[in-house]
Amino acid sequence: MNPLLPFLMAGDPSLEALPQLLSDAKALGLEAIELGLPHSDPIADGPVLQAAAQRAIARGATPLRVLESLAGLTDSPDIILFTYLNPLLQMGAERLKALLRPTPVKALLVVDLPFGEEPGFEADLRAAGYPMVPLLAPTTSIDRARQILSDRPDPGASAPFAQRFAYVVARLGVTGTGQGTDLGPVSRRVTDLKGLADRPLAVGFGLSDSRSLAAIRAMGATPVIGSALVQELADGGSLRKALSPRMVDDN
Amino acid sequence: MTAGFTLPTRFGAQALGGCYAPETLMQPLLDLEVAFLAASTDPSFLAELKGELRHFVGRPTPLTPAPRLAAKLGLKHLFLKREDLTHTGAHKINNALAQAILARRMGKTEIIAETGAGQHGVATASACARLGLDCTVFMGVTDMARQAPNVARMRLFGAKVVPVEAGQGTLKEAVNEALRAWAGRCDRAHYILGSALGPHPFPTLVRSFQTVIGEEARAQVLEQSGALPEVVLACAGGGSNGLGLLLPFLEDGLRRVAVEAGGHGTALGEHAARLDGGRMGVLHGCKTLLLQDEHGHTAETASISAGLDYPALGPELAALLLDGQVEVRRASDDEALSGARLLCETEGILPALESSHALALLPALAAEGVATILLGLSGRGDKDLSTYQSRLGI
Repeated sequence: MNPLLPFLMAGDPSLEALPQLLSDAKALGLEAIELGLPHSDPIADGPVLQAAAQRAIARGATPLRVLESLAGLTDSPDIILFTYLNPLLQMGAERLKALLRPTPVKALLVVDLPFGEEPGFEADLRAAGYPMVPLLAPTTSIDRARQILSDRPDPGASAPFAQRFAYVVARLGVTGTGQGTDLGPVSRRVTDLKGLADRPLAVGFGLSDSRSLAAIRAMGATPVIGSALVQELADGGSLRKALSPRMVDDN
Repeated sequence: MTAGFTLPTRFGAQALGGCYAPETLMQPLLDLEVAFLAASTDPSFLAELKGELRHFVGRPTPLTPAPRLAAKLGLKHLFLKREDLTHTGAHKINNALAQAILARRMGKTEIIAETGAGQHGVATASACARLGLDCTVFMGVTDMARQAPNVARMRLFGAKVVPVEAGQGTLKEAVNEALRAWAGRCDRAHYILGSALGPHPFPTLVRSFQTVIGEEARAQVLEQSGALPEVVLACAGGGSNGLGLLLPFLEDGLRRVAVEAGGHGTALGEHAARLDGGRMGVLHGCKTLLLQDEHGHTAETASISAGLDYPALGPELAALLLDGQVEVRRASDDEALSGARLLCETEGILPALESSHALALLPALAAEGVATILLGLSGRGDKDLSTYQSRLGI
């Protein structure tokens, strides 16, 4: 099982530093990484990722420059591009596919695109090898979860984790807040979802301490670490130092 | 089409609108549509709303002839639909009160709202006080400074006003923060969106609670003058006032005109006129005409009027515009100030800066040969006194 799914904001601390961060992540043995495309109006993000996006935009990390900076990178985990819809829509499917082709991007996590809203766009990208990650929230009913998982299906065991997993939102709210939340409900949710589909699950939102990460792994799911990592990197920390102790459980 | 909804989620030939919401909010939005549909046919809800609109809000609002202003501009007849005379001083109360009653029916105990000019925030705070609901209003820091009286009013009504520092500190950032807050508390809180935008079902919900403006105005103008006007005219930020007045005249053979904020220039960032500078895009849960840069990032906007200072036009109004059912025009900051002054001097009515954008278009319409106009006076201008004082040198 993939022990950790980290999130980085492209362009923070800088676009120039991104290839080295991705290379370090690969050297740590990480199979996949979420990479945030900085957006002007990140309605699902908390203060840490909002600030990171603002810094990145101020330093010129436009969607185009982010994707161009990923072109030709091979020393990288598989990338799940974490983004809001509008920049992708403005690019258009054809241009987006052309920009993604030379990059390690394997899937898209579009926060404000529920299944069924842009069916043509989504099908086009999936056919080109860029499926949308299914998101399941605490408010998602089990019937709706079944529908989401079938609308954004598992391509099968031969596909990489990035294209197979479903993202389980651990709690109500936005990214990066609510540490210390009771993980009981998400544990029950993970059990229910495992009964629906035999695909990898990642659990995120408000996870950073070793105990929470271990608890998610004990559920048989991959914990996502986002805001805490972004903050540590912004404060000058190294990726290795931030992630190494979080990849294994203390026993 | 969006899975799970009953009502149409899209508007017009270009299928604007939709429900581009984070997954956490999808079930609350589905639940909201169910509750809205049930309430719409429930005699007890309709009776309560009607009673509150009459005895608390003060509906029906008058349709006031403005003969001195008409004569000055060379118009034959000018009628003002007086939403400025509602309780709390703007049309916003029609929707805020209805949604608050709906939220209470849904068992919600807390209300979240965003506000630009503060009129929606004041209306929501007032409705919450009346219904005994907790109220939190998100407001940009720029707007808090320029609409300070409304901040005080909200606090007097017991609402918590949360300053939003991000970006330009205006309505867009307030909506961002309200959506984030709702995602964290959607199990117990309802979000009362104040404009005809956002993810489905909000545009339909808000418009349905605002068309009372146009329904009353249409009957009143027929009663007073025996005929419909040549033009029905309203200002448009997101579109709650514009749709509320214009939609009931959709089947009539007349011109429906919405006025956007022309700000202080025509370059991106100097105005909030989505027709000229906007392209199709997605913001705050809906696809519509949006002021944005080449990267799909939302553009900055500018307007003297906090209530019109928003980068997206509501999807239904944008669809009506693109399908040729509504004309959209623009008025600059200076033209709006002149419009306000003219109404004050000729009729003794102080309009809100938002409504002044509609007034600003009157000379142009008169010059086009229009003789009879019905204008939506969406709100009163007490909140804007400091701007009027500084900009008009009073």
